[in-house]
Amino acid sequence: MRWFARRCLFYVFAIWVALTLNFLLPRLMPGDPAGGVLARLSPSQIQANPGIIQTYRALLGGGNKSVWQDYIAYLHRLTHFNLGISTSNYPAPVSEVIGRTLPYSIALVGVAVLLAFIIGTGIGMIAAWKRGGTVDTVFVPALMGLGAFPAFFTALLCVYFFGLKLGWFPIQHAYASGLVPGFNWAFVASALRHGELPVLVIMAAFTGGWVLNMRTVMINTISEDYVAMAQAKGLKDRRVMTRYAGRNAILPPLNGFAAQFAGAVGGLVFVEYVFSYPGAGLTLQQAALGNDYPLTQGLLLVFAFAVIVANFAMDMLNFLLDPRVRAS
Amino acid sequence: MSQLQPLLEPEVTPLSVPAPRKHHRIPGWLSLLFENPKSRFGLVLIGFMILVAVIAPWISVNNPTDFNILATRQAPSWNHLFGTTDQGSDIFSQVVLGTRRSLILGASAALLATTLAATLGILAAYSGGIIDEIVNFLTNVFLVIPTIPLLIVISGYLNARGMTTMILVLGLTLWAFEARILRGQALSLKSRDFVHASKVAGESTRRIVFGEIMPNMISRIAAAFVLVFYIALLVDAGLEFLGLGDTTHVSWGMVLYWAQTNSTVLQGEWWPFLFPGLALVTTVVGLVFLLAGIDELSNPRLRTMKTKKRKKASR
Repeated sequence: MRWFARRCLFYVFAIWVALTLNFLLPRLMPGDPAGGVLARLSPSQIQANPGIIQTYRALLGGGNKSVWQDYIAYLHRLTHFNLGISTSNYPAPVSEVIGRTLPYSIALVGVAVLLAFIIGTGIGMIAAWKRGGTVDTVFVPALMGLGAFPAFFTALLCVYFFGLKLGWFPIQHAYASGLVPGFNWAFVASALRHGELPVLVIMAAFTGGWVLNMRTVMINTISEDYVAMAQAKGLKDRRVMTRYAGRNAILPPLNGFAAQFAGAVGGLVFVEYVFSYPGAGLTLQQAALGNDYPLTQGLLLVFAFAVIVANFAMDMLNFLLDPRVRAS
Repeated sequence: MSQLQPLLEPEVTPLSVPAPRKHHRIPGWLSLLFENPKSRFGLVLIGFMILVAVIAPWISVNNPTDFNILATRQAPSWNHLFGTTDQGSDIFSQVVLGTRRSLILGASAALLATTLAATLGILAAYSGGIIDEIVNFLTNVFLVIPTIPLLIVISGYLNARGMTTMILVLGLTLWAFEARILRGQALSLKSRDFVHASKVAGESTRRIVFGEIMPNMISRIAAAFVLVFYIALLVDAGLEFLGLGDTTHVSWGMVLYWAQTNSTVLQGEWWPFLFPGLALVTTVVGLVFLLAGIDELSNPRLRTMKTKKRKKASR
């Protein structure tokens, strides 16, 4: 229970650091970010929203209030999920823009990371079991090489070869034009079809890491006595590999899951950009280019929050799976 | 037979001792790296990229960003080895000149991050107590904030995105996971006899950290340096690709950015993105193989070659 409390405390603190970093960044930067945003608003927009100047000053600094007052106001607005108004999607609030784009990103990253984990650990397990075998000498270097490819480069190559030249996949956007997002078969089928290539690209970038981690841990596990014992008992090779060695080797790589997820969130931005996929990653890139600071701040918070939640979920899973953690 | 194996092992290891003595000029660590096939491959690739960076001004045209309306969107030919952009600039010159920036930026950012990480990580592990708690806490917090979105937001705020700024930003954001690796390594060294001995001998903390523990972790530190080197390269090119770079300079990321902005891929032009991408991949693959080689040298269990040979010897 003490362990549990400590972890919770850590995550609360991590969220606070993310919030505060978000608050401090624009104030630490040279120049006047708030001035930049306000200059982009037209006079009629300012007239229609009487409080907008104060809101941006509180968000980005440069007003006549003290930093502490700004900070309190900032935290207060966050408790109401008020992230301000997106200047590039005027007059939509930031929370609405995020709510519209985030589901696409969650689907993309969720499917890709899960598949990469299952396939990667499987290959890593077999590679370690039959060291120097076909899987070890062909798949491991190939996936390692693919992992060295930057996600955007793999994405560009895939768009060119599989999309443009071979015509196997659609290459732009999240669904065919003319469809209205909703729970009908035509939309879901189109969305799935458009997600295939982006998911494959993210998988290509992240499977290699799992393979390498699993292989390293598995090599150490294989030399344990209980594995030799299981083999001496005459159990089937496959059973020893999965139930005895693999089952014990999977915990350390699983601990890296949250870090892989954080990496995949980063890779997502590039993949969405290349595919013009209307998710949160593409929105972040466009907001950063268009100086839409309220939106970049809001998205950074959402991404940080997602990674923190992933970390927390992994900790809980670890707690369930590993008796050593429970005992300590 | 199996009991004799450990004694036989030194004879079959590829790392025989007399070999480095033959060529006097090459330092020991370099010849070690050359004897491992993985790191040798990596060193050859990196050596090639360094060579390109050094001779870049002699093999490129004078003004790589010059536009030429008569030669736009040309596929690779003898006149333009890597083809031209939609402004008619020579992509070969841009890629070759971009090599310098990438290598210098990656190495500098890695140096900054490694210095920070090694100092903080080892100091924390050795001192223990409250210092260790604080450093460990800080690194863990840094690790849960996703780096790429953070860097995108920071670059969005920056007005000047010159090389020095990017080195500082990358170095200061990438040190955390390196510090975690190095701290873990230092923790296992901390309770070794030689550390206790120097403590008893009355050596100062600074001397124990920098003079005793650090030299014993040099292969780990080198591995961490190489890791951050290629991550910094990738991240910098990625940010530029997203349009968050300095549009006035020449680099791989900028060539890729213009290729994407002008949607050259969708028009079937493969050369504006293929060549800068390949340059990036070549460098990164070189560094990844070098890293794998260093890992194998410091952790003999990972070597595949050796086990194969041992099996043959035992038959």
